[in-house]
Amino acid sequence: MDSRIGNLYPSSKFTFIILIILLSMFVPGFIFQYMIFLFIFLISLFSGTAIKFLATFMKSIPILIIFIFIFQVFLIVNEDSQQIWAFIHFSQIGLMTSLTMTSKIVAISSSIIWFFQVTRVKDIVYALEQSGVSQKVTFVIASTIQLIPQMLNLSRTIADAQKSRGIETEGNLFVRAKAFIPMIGPLVLSSIQQIEERVLALESRAFSSKAKKTSIYELKKQKFDYIIMIFCILVLIVYIVWRIKL
Amino acid sequence: MSYLSLKNVSYSYANGYEAVQNMNLDFDLGESAAIIGQNGAGKTTAVKLMNRLLIPTEGEVFVNNLSTKKATTAEISKMIGYVFQNPDDQIFQDTIYKEIAYGLKNQKLESAVMKNKVEAAAEICGLKESLNEHPYNLPYSKRKFITIAAVLATDPNVIILDEPTAGQDRESIERLGKLISHLANQNKTVITITHDMEFVVREFKRVIVLANKQKRRDASPREIFWDKELLKLSDLKQPFICQLADTLGYKGILTIEELLERDKNETYYN
Amino acid sequence: MSIISLKNINYTYPLEEKQTIHSFSLDLEKGCVYGLTGANESGKTTICNIIRGFIPELYKGELTGEVMIKGKNINDYNIGDLATIIGYSFQNPFTQLSGVKDTVYEEIAYGMENIGVSRDKMIQKVNEILKMFQLEDLIDKNPFELSGGQKQRVAIASVVALDPEIIILDEPTSQLDPKSTEDIFEIIQLLKKQGKTILLVEHKVDLLAAYCDEILLISCGELVMQGPVKEILSDPKVVEYGGQLPQVALYFIKKAEANGSSASQVPLTVQEVYDHLNKDGEA
Repeated sequence: MDSRIGNLYPSSKFTFIILIILLSMFVPGFIFQYMIFLFIFLISLFSGTAIKFLATFMKSIPILIIFIFIFQVFLIVNEDSQQIWAFIHFSQIGLMTSLTMTSKIVAISSSIIWFFQVTRVKDIVYALEQSGVSQKVTFVIASTIQLIPQMLNLSRTIADAQKSRGIETEGNLFVRAKAFIPMIGPLVLSSIQQIEERVLALESRAFSSKAKKTSIYELKKQKFDYIIMIFCILVLIVYIVWRIKL
Repeated sequence: MSYLSLKNVSYSYANGYEAVQNMNLDFDLGESAAIIGQNGAGKTTAVKLMNRLLIPTEGEVFVNNLSTKKATTAEISKMIGYVFQNPDDQIFQDTIYKEIAYGLKNQKLESAVMKNKVEAAAEICGLKESLNEHPYNLPYSKRKFITIAAVLATDPNVIILDEPTAGQDRESIERLGKLISHLANQNKTVITITHDMEFVVREFKRVIVLANKQKRRDASPREIFWDKELLKLSDLKQPFICQLADTLGYKGILTIEELLERDKNETYYN
Repeated sequence: MSIISLKNINYTYPLEEKQTIHSFSLDLEKGCVYGLTGANESGKTTICNIIRGFIPELYKGELTGEVMIKGKNINDYNIGDLATIIGYSFQNPFTQLSGVKDTVYEEIAYGMENIGVSRDKMIQKVNEILKMFQLEDLIDKNPFELSGGQKQRVAIASVVALDPEIIILDEPTSQLDPKSTEDIFEIIQLLKKQGKTILLVEHKVDLLAAYCDEILLISCGELVMQGPVKEILSDPKVVEYGGQLPQVALYFIKKAEANGSSASQVPLTVQEVYDHLNKDGEA
């Protein structure tokens, strides 16, 4: 994560992707939206997250796109559909629909992926707290994010413990299904157990104190944050005015 | 070849961290041993290699002449039982009986035979009265005995105990001691990881010291606990009675009884 | 005035018939280290939870008797604010972490954030605590990625950061190796020097003998023995009540028995024997 983009205030980056999302939704056609993808890719190159960005994007989005194309172009029957074979048709309208649809998905998903790759969860939590979101909400967000890797570790240990008892946890679907209860059981039971202990531990750190909370972590808005925000809002206004005039 | 044998075994985790380096260990049936060493010395990795939770990156582990590279963990688990440090990592049944019986399910036993096996295992672990209770009705220290009983019921030849004494009171530690000698009498091998040096002195004739991913020494408690250079290098300490004997100027003493005996002789010769 | 005073406490957990604690009275004096020991399930943790107010605040059940903290009834305190008077740290290093902080530095500050300490003061205090607990090398590490011993040190450090006068440590070393155990006891020593009152639940009597002022022995929910370390840990009655005696004491008791002499006031630790011998040498 490039420190200059990483250290921007979350709401600046958030305003930026909101602008991108709005524009992708309202600009007609699909060329602009696909350009957005290239643009976001360039920004992630600049943010130092390009490889991570491509990896995450490629793992999830292309499958969805291919699915939409097949569905729209070959399966759904439009006015201009021409039968190819049995239930398979080709439709020019379908092709256009899928291009518009997928271009929006690509633009929006790529900007969201980029946002989460260049913004620390802790910054989001901090920004939420500063903007007055309840401590309980931010606690849930922060603890969920921190605890997911711990749950993964725990499930690995449980798998090992059950394997040592002769329970097969690897193999075909049937074998895995049989191992489901021995795997999930301890995970649920010990998680409940841990919650009880964690409640006490949090209470020992004055969790329920009525005082106004402070934060040792600090993130300040920089000049650049204001520039981005103003820029984004200006672009949005210019676009709206331009559309209305048309 | 010994029943359980590690031959030039090294193990590195996927992230490249090497946890065990060129280790050689042999265990015959009926030969128990304690494994001691600081955290990070490689103790847990070493025992996970024994029951094929891990497969050596170099070298080989043999159980009853079968290389763990050529077997499944389920096959090895019939010969090597492993009791994890935290019982809550494996308990999932709603009664203690079912939890102990779970490992026997695949053996297609008659119900009477199964019942006998479960009850016998529960008996040595002090759980006979609680068989119908929910495991979580018992405190952590007792839950540990449930997982021990579950392993004993399947009757493996080697039983690995990972820190069985942690958080246990005197009575439970004594029970563990009895259990270990009971198993030794049945020609089983018990391999125990522990930080409790007094427990080691009382229950084991063989001690393996691991430090910095390697086996440092494999010898009797007396040799280990009076090798002060070794202890220092491995960040370990003498048991209290050895420290006391050392302070009093007696070398080689291991137990209170030996120290008293020594006193008697001193008085006699005086 | 005692800093903690329990008067005739009786407690039964919800849905249980048997009383866990009976007629338990106890006075703890400021600045002393108390070793609370006894068999598993004898009620040690329950007593700690009562002193901290978790019983009856978080666990229901039937509680009678009176808990006074610094001369004031515990019910007159807000449970959140009690964290600044009584620090409480537990057995399992893992569940003690707040789970919302990704560096040791912030983990230690968490309690102070909750009571609204200003940022400047917080930074100063965190640095002080990091030094005291020798955690300076770990400040940027994720607390979850530490070893058990390191986690336990961070957990205790986070509680001590709130500057409580009383610190309860419930089996802090049961999951730790000998080196980490010793580190924790060194910290206890330091805290005592700062005038903290410490209640330490522990099975390792050999270490209690070296570090505590008084021993409290609990058996089946009752306080059966209480007194100076020397007096209690040389008394064979401890074993009858499910507790244990230090190895060194056991030796001297048996030695006295063999000689037919009485075994009161035997040495409890190797250090004590060493000091005694060296003093004789000088004399």
